[in-house]
Amino acid sequence: MTSGAEVRNELPTKISVKDLKFFYGENLALKSINMPLYANKVTALIGPSGCGKSTLLRVLNRMYDLYPRQRAEGEVILDGTNILDPHQDLNLLRARVGMVFQKPTPFPMTIYDNIAFGIKLYEKLPKSELDGRVEAALRGAAIWDEVQDKLNASGLSLSGGQQQRLCIARTVAIHPEVILFDEPCSALDPISTAKVEELIDELKENYTIAIVTHNMQQAARVSEYACFMYLGELIEFATTSQLFTSPENTRTQNYITGRFG
Amino acid sequence: MAYKDAAARRARVLGAFKIRDGIFHGLTLAAALAVLIILGGVIISLIEGSLPAIRAFGFGFVYSSVWNPVTNQFGALAAIYGTLVTSAIAMLIAVPIGIGIGIFLTELCPEGLRRPIGIAVELLAGIPSIIYGIWGLFVFAPFLQQHIQPGLIAAFANVPILSSLFAGPPYGIGMLTAGFILAIMVLPFIAAISRDVFATVPAVLKEAGRGIGCTTWEAVRHIVVPYARVGVIGGVMLGLGRALGETMAVTFVIGNADAIPRSLLAPGTTISAAIANEFTEAVGDLYTSSLIELGLILFIITFFVLAIARFMLIRLERKAGKT
Repeated sequence: MTSGAEVRNELPTKISVKDLKFFYGENLALKSINMPLYANKVTALIGPSGCGKSTLLRVLNRMYDLYPRQRAEGEVILDGTNILDPHQDLNLLRARVGMVFQKPTPFPMTIYDNIAFGIKLYEKLPKSELDGRVEAALRGAAIWDEVQDKLNASGLSLSGGQQQRLCIARTVAIHPEVILFDEPCSALDPISTAKVEELIDELKENYTIAIVTHNMQQAARVSEYACFMYLGELIEFATTSQLFTSPENTRTQNYITGRFG
Repeated sequence: MAYKDAAARRARVLGAFKIRDGIFHGLTLAAALAVLIILGGVIISLIEGSLPAIRAFGFGFVYSSVWNPVTNQFGALAAIYGTLVTSAIAMLIAVPIGIGIGIFLTELCPEGLRRPIGIAVELLAGIPSIIYGIWGLFVFAPFLQQHIQPGLIAAFANVPILSSLFAGPPYGIGMLTAGFILAIMVLPFIAAISRDVFATVPAVLKEAGRGIGCTTWEAVRHIVVPYARVGVIGGVMLGLGRALGETMAVTFVIGNADAIPRSLLAPGTTISAAIANEFTEAVGDLYTSSLIELGLILFIITFFVLAIARFMLIRLERKAGKT
């Protein structure tokens, strides 16, 4: 937890997690997590299954709020305000902090509507402008060329990789500030994975990104910062290159070299 | 030698398997064919039974509303009208409430209430129709007569169209009451099926909706309901099928008047109520045959409802771009 301290003070922080505890009922799933998400950087969360990576991600847009018996303590500061505040407007928060899931989740509607739906929740736009926004989002997610001729086809008719990029486009379309990726490539083939990774690399220009992944190489390829979590604890946070080449904690080292996990 | 023995034994066993498989295939095929035979038998006997009436009245049977056993003049229009109108009232009430119950139980209901309400809905479905009949006649109809119908008549007195739909003396029994009773009867079907199909919507899909900032309402309206629409329509059609054919409860409360009432508050009749009421007293071949033809018409209506439901589903799928 000491490494990277020097950079931490220089970079603008988008989200900072302070002393975060998370409970599933009586079960303590996150034990006092402290970490930053730097603005316009990609931060990877790695660790064995059940270590709390996805849980942490789901705190950042308060997705856990949908379920009774799940609660968080501590602070998550997004641009100066604590989003764990019970008065936080959740719909607004989720518009600012978008999420892409493990499995592609196109809505049961046309490709066009999959994108337009989210935009229309927040803005009343004339048709032509809406068309422009949909196209921009699809281009932004590098899928425009593949779907421009079949915008009225169902989102479900696309392949898995295309569906996932459609979901990214949908997230991008509402102009969030932060995008959370929860193992976005685990259901994709290598070619689609490469496309999504490339996309993440482009997206960080405009967004702050956090990505949960089980794939070490992927973490190394796409992220600038990485944190290793184990049994609900944050073991080490550092720049990705440092975490992968000279981790300070032996557990981190064991994990990234494949000795456990 | 031992090897040959084993091979022969295996061949014998496999032969036995083959016979058993053949018997199994034959039995299941017979079961499936039985459905076709029963269905065909019902259709043939309905048509055969109604031949005298078809010969006597031709197509006029369907659009004549005269039903006079004394002069042997029979027309089905009043019964068809009553059947369609009471079912329409029932669906108008039961579909939104049923889907609402389904949404509440799957999306909004606190954990502790989920089971009690769910069980109550299922119990509602288990109440025999005769109980709805007596309750409707002795409790519900007088209640409507005293408290609801006068209010309806007064409220719509000056509204065109509606004033004639809710006109006349409040009898208590009549088309509207039958529609209400039918609504209560089909409600649990629609509610239970809606709940079951809404429960099949993947949690992650709802999360994705919430993830772009949908409110609960928006997620339900645009994601949960469209995702589950095929199942919901199936539930609605099941309910409609029950409403169209329901006999006992309707016979109790509809008033059994063989005429097309102008007002929804007035007594009328339905196909099944007419058959149930009059079959024992039907003297003469033409009377009996006319009642059987009523049954044939109900059969055809139900068939068309199912066909339209299928057609709607196909169109919906095409609109969603699945095909």
